[in-house]
Order: sequence, then structure tokens, then C-alpha cells
Amino acid sequence: MTKEDLIKFYSIHKAQIFPVIVALSSLFLIIFVIYPQTARLISNQNALGDLNRRSEFLETKVVALESYDEGELSNRVGLILTTLPTDKDFGNVLGLLQQLTVQSGFSANSISFSNSASKIAKLRNFEVKLDIRGSKASLQTLLDNLENSPRLVRINSIDALSRGDTETIESILGVDALYSELPKDFGGIDSPLPELSEKDNELISKLEQLKQAAFEQGGQTALVPSTSSSSAVESPRGKSNPFE
Amino acid sequence: MAKISINLLPPEIITKELKKANFYKIQFIGITVILIMVFLASLTVALRILQSRSITEVQAKISETQKQVTDLKDTQAALFLLKDRLTLIDQYLGVSSNQSLMYRLIDKFLPAGVVINGISINKTGEVTLTALVPDSSSLDNFIEALTTKDNNEGKISMVGIESLNRGRDGFYRVSLKIKPE
Repeated sequence: MTKEDLIKFYSIHKAQIFPVIVALSSLFLIIFVIYPQTARLISNQNALGDLNRRSEFLETKVVALESYDEGELSNRVGLILTTLPTDKDFGNVLGLLQQLTVQSGFSANSISFSNSASKIAKLRNFEVKLDIRGSKASLQTLLDNLENSPRLVRINSIDALSRGDTETIESILGVDALYSELPKDFGGIDSPLPELSEKDNELISKLEQLKQAAFEQGGQTALVPSTSSSSAVESPRGKSNPFE
Repeated sequence: MAKISINLLPPEIITKELKKANFYKIQFIGITVILIMVFLASLTVALRILQSRSITEVQAKISETQKQVTDLKDTQAALFLLKDRLTLIDQYLGVSSNQSLMYRLIDKFLPAGVVINGISINKTGEVTLTALVPDSSSLDNFIEALTTKDNNEGKISMVGIESLNRGRDGFYRVSLKIKPE
């Protein structure tokens, strides 16, 4: 078929061929350009919406994180780690129990620690046996003081014997000292920040007051981290010249 | 005077002209359709390019913000730790254990003349109590106070008398076992 034949064929059937060419071209554009691009446009629009939301969330998170005073936050973390430490922390428990015993009008005969650890709900604990002697009327005060101490402890057993004089009792208290390992998850980049509620802030204030009260009443012996230099500086030094 | 219209063209030329006019119409519509399709295709491509640019910008912004969050991860960890610990502390601080509650209840309802010689509250909250009671009515009052639901706040399920002796001095020596709810 020559070129002249084609031209002749077209000129005869152009009224049918032209619309067919137009329809095929339009179909080609719709199938290969308009439809795929429109579909991608819609799906990308959703993705863009998600990205915008994520961007806004992250910006809000940065603003919220920057609004916290690092020093204050660090103090608060120190406070709650004193109340509920990550390990057994025998030193502070011993200091606290001695202090609370004396403060409640008792004298401690012995304080013994159990090395075995068990679990109360999510918390781990070890038992301390507190062998004490004091006024019967003060036992309730001691129990209250223990349960409201700035280091979490729970009373698990009470044995009390009255000897001769009815006002004096000898008692062995079983105390569970609680501790908890650090959480494994500190949140990822996209995790929402935990908000400290009014109740949380009240609890922190209460812990601060308890710690302050313990510090004022017990001096430096209780609830002072062993690494603190203040106790070392303020500890008794003795005579400046022992030969005088 | 009426006009007379005479068409002297041969009929085949008239048919040809009509066909030509029809084809022009088809051609016009076809070109219009093609142009519309090209316009739509260009528009979608242009919108996609603009959208891709927006996505790239937002992604860059997110990367920058993520870096800022990473720089503040210590603050975030402190907050998570604080919240976690506060939730745990809240469950236990100032909350009396069963043993402490049982002691408080017994102390609260102990009649004036009754002297406790020994009290033992074990890990399950079970109480063993030995006491010196001056008269039987005091003992009755004490047991009644402990077993009355309104008094014991639903904390005591049973009060059992393990032993009861009366000495020469007229005092009762009683051993009680109190089971928690």
C-alpha cells in the first residue's frame, strides 16, 4: 500500500477514522497519564496529611520538652528514685529505719536484712526484720511513720510481746522494703509525652515534704545518697589537736 | 414581487459540501477533546510535581524536628521514669497494709481493762492475740466489737477463741485467733 493509497483511503473514510483516532488518543491519555497521576495525587494527599500531622505533633513535643526545666526534672527524678530506688539500697533503708524507730520512741535491738527478693505486684522487695523495744502506745505511731516514710516500705508482719511492765513491749516488725528496676521503655521519637497530672504534682510535693521532714529530724543519716559530699563535709571531725 | 431561488449546482457537489461541513464539525469536536485531555494530563502532572515538592519539604522538616527530639531524649526519659515511678508510688505511699489495718482495728476496740500480752500478725494478716481480761463482759464487748460488720469495716471474717483460762486472781487469760476477710 503506497502513500497515495493511504491518503486516498483516509480522504474517503476520514469522517470515521478521525473520531476513532481522537477516541484512542484520549483513552491513551486517560489510561496512562490522567488516571495514574490522579490516583497517586489522592493517595499522596493522604500521606501528606499524615506527614503534616506528624510534623505538628513532633513540633508540639519539642516545645513541651523544651518547656521543662532540666534541673528541676533531675531533682524530681532524684526524689522519686530515693523513694523507690532501682536496687536494694540497704544503706538508706537502714538509716531510715533507725531514724523512724528513734523518732517514734523505740530503740532498735537489731535490724536484719534478708537477701532474698520477691515481688509485690510490679515491685520487687526484700524483707527487713526490725527488733525493737518501746512504749506500747507508740507502736501505732511507728507503723504510721513507716507507711508514710519517704522510702517505700510495707509492713508484712507484726509480733509484739508485753513483758511485765504493760507499757513496754518488745516487737519484731517484718518490713518489706520496695524497689523497682528501671522501665525498659523510655518512649520513642513518636511516643506521646506522659503528662504530669495535678495528682502527680501533689504526690511530688508530698514526697518533698516527707524528705525534708526526714532530713530535718534525722540529720544527714537518712535518705542522703552515699555519693553526696555534704555528709562527708559535715561529719564530726573530732578535736583539732588530740594531745591537748 | 416574489424572489425566485434557483440552485444550479449539481447534486453530487451539494452532498460533498455537506460531508465537508460535517467533517469540520467532527474535527472541531475531536481537537477540542484532545486539547481537554492534554490540559487535564498536564494539570495532574503539574499538581503531582508540586505535591512531591511539598512532601519533600515536610519530610525535611520532620527530620529536623526528629533530631531535636533526639537531642532532648534525656528529658523525655526523665519524664517517662517520673510518670512510671509516680504511678507505682501512688499505689503504696500512705496506704496501710493488711497487718497494719488489723493492728489498728484491734487497738481501736480494745476495752480499757484488757491488757494484751502478745500479738502476732502474720503475712496473710491472720492475728493471734493473747490477752488478760478482768471480766467476761469486757471479753464479750471486745469480741462483739471485732465481729460487728460496721465496726470491723468488713476486714474480719472470723474471731475464734483458742483458749480461755480463769486464774486465781479472777482474771481471764484468753487466746484469740482473728482471721481477715
